[in-house]
Amino acid sequence: MPGETAAQSEPHLTIESRLEDLALLWPWAESIADIHGLPAATRFAIHLCLEEAISNVIRHGYRGELGRPVTVQFASQPDELVFTVEDEAPAFDPLDESREDQAPDASATDQIPLGGQGIRLLRKFAGSLVYQGLPTGNRLTMRFPIQR
Amino acid sequence: MQISTEELADGVTRIALDGRLDIAGASAVDLKMNVAAGSANKLLIDLKNVTFLGSMGLRSIVLPARAVRSRGGKVVLFAPGEMVESVLKTSGIDSILPIYHDLAAALAALQ
Repeated sequence: MPGETAAQSEPHLTIESRLEDLALLWPWAESIADIHGLPAATRFAIHLCLEEAISNVIRHGYRGELGRPVTVQFASQPDELVFTVEDEAPAFDPLDESREDQAPDASATDQIPLGGQGIRLLRKFAGSLVYQGLPTGNRLTMRFPIQR
Repeated sequence: MQISTEELADGVTRIALDGRLDIAGASAVDLKMNVAAGSANKLLIDLKNVTFLGSMGLRSIVLPARAVRSRGGKVVLFAPGEMVESVLKTSGIDSILPIYHDLAAALAALQ
């Protein structure tokens, strides 16, 4: 229909559990950002949180198993955008603080952390995060405040 | 994601990254980053044209930096944009790999 965009007609995106499929996220999220006229910082935060959340599902939830679904739902609220990531992996709380690496110690010359940064970045860049265990999977809801 | 390497004065190797350092970008430059940093002892990683940085991209920075530091070398991060710098600071990487926005100061830190 005139004026309808991919994001308006497709408020969700399902990818398979391959890190390469994360490349599908960028244009989908960008089209949403364009529709809502989001500033660069909000776009950055959305892209970052989607990449961190979904890569966590693929690497840790599905433990690298290929061909499993990861679905991202989008919803627009008056003062926030809501992205919900759902999977069918065993119970896995990405917000579990025991997964978070300690901040690097500058006095330790070789203690540059290689991983475990995802949760720290999610907490910093998402307005809010809510994890729910589902009967057959997991749901992570991320909210990003916006100004209209 | 594009990568270029330049040898500056006083033995400084400048690696410049251009584009998104997301999972795909990191995969595209990982090997080149490690090769470029392979023999460097004074490494300046120029992030001026990096438009996105995620945790996988952090690995692309940390791995070569670790190699340089293990040889007793020095590494600095140069001119990240505001959001990229926020990622670096959130991760705590900046406490080990210092960030500079002034080139002269960055080069001085490598001496």
